[in-house]
Amino acid sequence: MTYSEETLSAYADGELDAATRAALETAMADDPQLAQRIARHQALRAQLQSAFAPVLEEPVPERLLASVRGAAAGPRAGNVVALQPRARARWSWPQWSAIAASLIVGALLGPPLLRPGADASLVDTRGGRMVAGGVLARALAEQLASSQRAGAPVQIGVSFRSRGGAYCRTFSVQEAGGLAGLACHEQSSWRIETLARAVSEPAGEGFRPAASALPPAVTGTLAELIAGEPLDAAAESAARARGWTR
Amino acid sequence: MSVDRLREELVTLLPRLRRFARALARNPQDADDLVQTAVERALLHAAQLRDGAPLAAWLYGILRNAWIDEQRARARRGRLFTAAESGEQVADAAHAGPAESLAVQDALGRLPDEQRLAVALVLIEGLSYKEAAHVMEVPIGTLTSRLARAREALQAILGEP
Repeated sequence: MTYSEETLSAYADGELDAATRAALETAMADDPQLAQRIARHQALRAQLQSAFAPVLEEPVPERLLASVRGAAAGPRAGNVVALQPRARARWSWPQWSAIAASLIVGALLGPPLLRPGADASLVDTRGGRMVAGGVLARALAEQLASSQRAGAPVQIGVSFRSRGGAYCRTFSVQEAGGLAGLACHEQSSWRIETLARAVSEPAGEGFRPAASALPPAVTGTLAELIAGEPLDAAAESAARARGWTR
Repeated sequence: MSVDRLREELVTLLPRLRRFARALARNPQDADDLVQTAVERALLHAAQLRDGAPLAAWLYGILRNAWIDEQRARARRGRLFTAAESGEQVADAAHAGPAESLAVQDALGRLPDEQRLAVALVLIEGLSYKEAAHVMEVPIGTLTSRLARAREALQAILGEP
């Protein structure tokens, strides 16, 4: 089976039907070249999103808030452009390069989380980095893989120590169309290292918490970061008791 | 939708509208002008929007129309100020972030308008193909072929990884 670029980009855009997506993911596992072609599309998406993501963090100019309120709008910059130099924009890009770096694998982050109805609080940014928020942050801090409820909104997969010594955990989220990722504990928050669309499963079959359900992007990051073996139930529990600090 | 309700929703959506406008207009002041025009038009037409309709898509559509109007007005003015403006864009852009995202923004700016619009809606704003086609008032097939050409062009400009 050969796949057109259009099909592969539709995969990166989350636009394939379940059957085609499943077939493509199976094919991808045996075909590094195919996986690479898909990665190219995902990387472009990630590049575009990281280039424009900082706009969301900028303070909204007062004149726009005023026009929303219906107050008399201020003069438009556009009307005076050619007659006098504009004040240079004051950029408040928070730790810009950090964002660019941390978003590389987050190709699929933006769309599902930003659609109306999605729980946007799953992910926050702090100091320009993506960190877990809301229900995801709580699950990462509290939930043990060995004792979690099957229907919990967040499922914890593997917990492990990274080469840098931090505690990291893989997770899956049912919300936002199904996402999976990997987060590492850093300065009292969970920094998200990878986020990808969860491996698709037939509807109604329930949510598979096992690491086998993780998308390749997440298992790849896992393989890259892990030092030694994953934590067993006792070690996981002990790490939680220490607040995920060393 | 009542105007008051729309005002509340708009406050939440302003950051996304600003990002969308920035992808289209590049120059931050021009982008915010577009947002302001879109907000004013949206408030005028709030009654046309039924509750529960996809508000974000409606607003993207209004902003897109404002952008097209502005492009036409610029063309009529004969691009008298093009040189000054582009010089200024370079100066602004120098403060816009690291080299990689600048390269991405430049590459996007070099696409034909309709391709840039498709990229902004689908790849940056995360709309589905169906939603984006609706905003652009084209069939889905037209959207996907514009998107495919845009991707190819962007990858060519940005270089293979």
